[in-house]
Amino acid sequence: MASIDIAAIHKSYGIHPVLHGIDLEIKDGEFVVLVGPSGCGKSTLLRMIAGLEAVTDGEIRIDGKRVNDLAPKDRDIAMVFQSYALYPHMSVAKNMSYSLRLRKTAKEKIASVVASAATKLGLDPLMERRPKALSGGQRQRVAMGRAIVREPKAFLFDEPLSNLDARLREQMRAEIKKLHQDLGATSIYVTHDQIEAMTLADRIVAMHGGIIQQVGSPLELYDNPANLFVAGFIGSPGMNFFEGRYLATGDTANFALTGGIVLPLGGTAKLADGSRATLGIRPEHVILGAEGPDTMMATVDLVEPTGFGIIVHLKLGPVAFKAFTLDRRFLGMHGEVAVKLPVPNLHFFNEEGRKV
Amino acid sequence: MASLAARNGGSRRDQRPLKKRLADASAPYLYSAPALILIVTVMLVPLVLGISYAFRDIQLLNPFSGGFIGLDHFKTLSQDQNFYRALKNTLWWTGWSVLLQFVFGLILALLLDKPFYGRAIVQALVFLPWAVPSFLAGLNWAWLFNPVVGPIPHWLFALGLMSEPYNILSDPQLSMWGPIIANVWWGIPFFAITLLAALQAIPRDLYEAASIDGAGPVQRFISITLPFLAPTIAITVLLRTVWISNFADLIIVMTNGGPADRSQIVASYIFTQAFKRLDFGYASAIALVLLVLLITYSMLIVVLRQWLLSKD
Ligand SMILES: Nc1ncnc2c1ncn2[C@@H]1O[C@H](COP(=O)(O)OP(=O)(O)OP(=O)(O)O)[C@@H](O)[C@H]1O
Ligand SMILES: [Mg+2]
Repeated sequence: MASIDIAAIHKSYGIHPVLHGIDLEIKDGEFVVLVGPSGCGKSTLLRMIAGLEAVTDGEIRIDGKRVNDLAPKDRDIAMVFQSYALYPHMSVAKNMSYSLRLRKTAKEKIASVVASAATKLGLDPLMERRPKALSGGQRQRVAMGRAIVREPKAFLFDEPLSNLDARLREQMRAEIKKLHQDLGATSIYVTHDQIEAMTLADRIVAMHGGIIQQVGSPLELYDNPANLFVAGFIGSPGMNFFEGRYLATGDTANFALTGGIVLPLGGTAKLADGSRATLGIRPEHVILGAEGPDTMMATVDLVEPTGFGIIVHLKLGPVAFKAFTLDRRFLGMHGEVAVKLPVPNLHFFNEEGRKV
Repeated sequence: MASLAARNGGSRRDQRPLKKRLADASAPYLYSAPALILIVTVMLVPLVLGISYAFRDIQLLNPFSGGFIGLDHFKTLSQDQNFYRALKNTLWWTGWSVLLQFVFGLILALLLDKPFYGRAIVQALVFLPWAVPSFLAGLNWAWLFNPVVGPIPHWLFALGLMSEPYNILSDPQLSMWGPIIANVWWGIPFFAITLLAALQAIPRDLYEAASIDGAGPVQRFISITLPFLAPTIAITVLLRTVWISNFADLIIVMTNGGPADRSQIVASYIFTQAFKRLDFGYASAIALVLLVLLITYSMLIVVLRQWLLSKD
């Protein structure tokens, strides 16, 4: 187990910069999840920690020791690849014991470690098979097994579940979480999947364009996104955004949407009068069928039942937004509905996209 | 419905006139006859004729030859010391040529597998020897070994490997090595290109996984590269073995089997018998023996391959 420090890391492929100064401290035993849109440099960062990509500038320390120039084999970390990268000509047992055999571990030790990992992952009946005779989920388990037999300083996962179907992904997600609770190993996990990020992470690192946008606990990022990117990226269905102008009129400010509609805010925000801004609200915070002051009439565009709840697509003049509700009364809704955007749940972002 | 129709069709067929039934039955054979006749003429007739020569006395310069002589050629052959030497030389020639071509081809393929500036051009250049006609390659190397026009003897002399610059092609002890070296030069591209193609088909993430698992370059080569290359290596080595043991061009051009038949392989010995001594009958007998040997070898390989496949 070890801490990992990433200090001012830059990476360029030739003249193309990919990472622009990443700073991140990962504590011993922490489970950190990297999320971000495709191409933002998550895999690149992970591969640099593993030693598979050279560091252009900056420093990576594992347990306080600089590892920039260390070969992957000397870093004592394990990695689970998206493609699993199992050795096709070796049996499951050989795949799992490969790293131990390279280290000339005693035979009895190898046998006992591999057997206990196999039991933990439910691989016992498959130990003599070749990878090509396994299902996707079983291959995934073998890849996990290959990582855990070594008791490395840290685990790196690059979208390990993205080739599995939804049900299996859910199951493996829980198993990874359990494994982490058992082993307590420092882990860095790259994913596209919102739910994986939210459920697994001690801390989420949201990246965009080679820059870290926000680091924090899952709920911190959900409840208090630092900027427009994080607000829009975390959560599904995503946050609603309304562009417009903030108009302070005494105690109760208004928000003039670009389309001409004025939202009464029923409160104030830390924005200058007349400044351009973006207002955000999560779909589940939009109150449908509201009564009383500060309600507006919105047109119902589409109703999507998800089983668990209902996503309602609405239009406020030309501006489209969504609401999420558990109330099945809204299933057959059409025409107009009164909506309310409660002030405590509103997020304001200034012109630069920062939260205020 | 369908089965009813089929039954009706079946009963009706039995009632067709005999002539029509014959015509229907022979139609497929008539259609394929032209192709079959062509194949038989082109492939089998020369083979059978060639084999029949082995049992006849055919000498181009002797107008009274041509009679059937049974196994006489084979009796002579079993006592022909030159033939045994040629057989030994064939092993020597094939073994070293294949081994060296393979080793250098593999090294070249491994080098070309790493990205570097100008790799595409180098890959194209590597192909060059393969594109040179074999007799041209032979002539070229013969000149290179010739102290009068070529530099190699002088270089070897300068390095102290030779007491004086002489032609190794005329040294009975060394003459075999001249064609072997030319053959290695000529055949490296074949191995380099096929092995390179196989190398590039190995998924890169396996190497990454192995290096994270703690494997150094040598261990990665042994536990990933070799298992992936094994089928390609097996097939190419086997094919080249058959091909090279039959490949007399370089020897004919460079040493003509000499001096004193010291660099004669079976294939070049056949050539010498047939076209120098014009004894077609004897040459055919030798060729038949070579054919049997190579077929035996090929069958062994096929069996070995089946066994390897079934083991997996
Ligand atoms: N070997 C390479 N040469 C040049 N550019 C590269 C190379 N590898 C990655 N890149 C570029 O670096 C950027 C980041 O790539 P990276 O693989 O880290 O993205 P990612 O965040 O993992 O995306 P995804 O979620 O799709 O896996 C991309 O724009 C990609 O085009
Ligand atoms: Mg990636």
